[in-house]
Amino acid sequence: MALKIRRTRINAPAISRPRKTKFQADLAPADDHTVRLLKEELQVTSNSDFLSDAVALFRWAVSERKMGRRIISESLSGERIALLFPRLERVAPDLVLPRVEIAWTKRELESLAELASATEANAPTDALIRAMRV
Amino acid sequence: MAIIIRRLEEHDEVESFDCGDEPLNNYLKRHAWTNQEKISIGVSYVAVDEGAPRVVLGYFTLAMASVPREAFPKKYVRGLPPYDLPLILLARLAVERRFAGRGVGHALISEALRIGLRVADEVGCRCIVTDAYRERVGWYSRYGFVPIEGAAASGPQRMFLDLRTVRAALRR
Repeated sequence: MALKIRRTRINAPAISRPRKTKFQADLAPADDHTVRLLKEELQVTSNSDFLSDAVALFRWAVSERKMGRRIISESLSGERIALLFPRLERVAPDLVLPRVEIAWTKRELESLAELASATEANAPTDALIRAMRV
Repeated sequence: MAIIIRRLEEHDEVESFDCGDEPLNNYLKRHAWTNQEKISIGVSYVAVDEGAPRVVLGYFTLAMASVPREAFPKKYVRGLPPYDLPLILLARLAVERRFAGRGVGHALISEALRIGLRVADEVGCRCIVTDAYRERVGWYSRYGFVPIEGAAASGPQRMFLDLRTVRAALRR
């Protein structure tokens, strides 16, 4: 006697899983060779892992240049080479000011914290309004 | 007289600059260029006349700084964002004596504040601070700078200007 199997569809609670995106690229033979070599050197076995690491590195480089920082490699003897990568230069700010240290007294820090944490800033003065119209 | 404000250049005539304050004169003549181009601890902008574009009539110097969050007294930390507080330092501002009272200072601070806004847009920044000579506190107050309490009575007065105030001025 054949068993009758009743199939019941159970609707699983909807869990939104981030969808993975497929990535396909046509590589020139030289680039393909480079990718293979890099994977071997880095001991990365899958293309996904390789791409994920490359994205992480690129993301870091972009964030550094966005803040106006240069990316520099330094040899053991102290010789420095700055990375100039045209695509990265597109995200670099036009205007960057150098960074300095300021000495503060405890009372100054209290006062600064009070001023900086104010929910609303002071209204501009007439002179400031005129200055910004120049 | 048409004033142009631009970055300090190597061949600008700074030797004759006299604002009446020796440290400010000396900074422009001896340190501004080196600090800007070689050791990168401040960028100086100069006011020049279109007719004599190398002669410096006034200047200001800007740099970035930040206050680590843990440096603030605990009592005040709650009102602050959970990061170090980035700020712009208006390190120096001076006008050649012969051009005092002719709007050069106004043009300089106007440009400094505009640059402040651009920097804030580019890299994020909350306020501008400056160390004002006591006799110049009134001048900075006119532009909305407020004193930061706690400085030594004899030294310069540290002052604060919220960039939100500057942005609001742009909209007026």
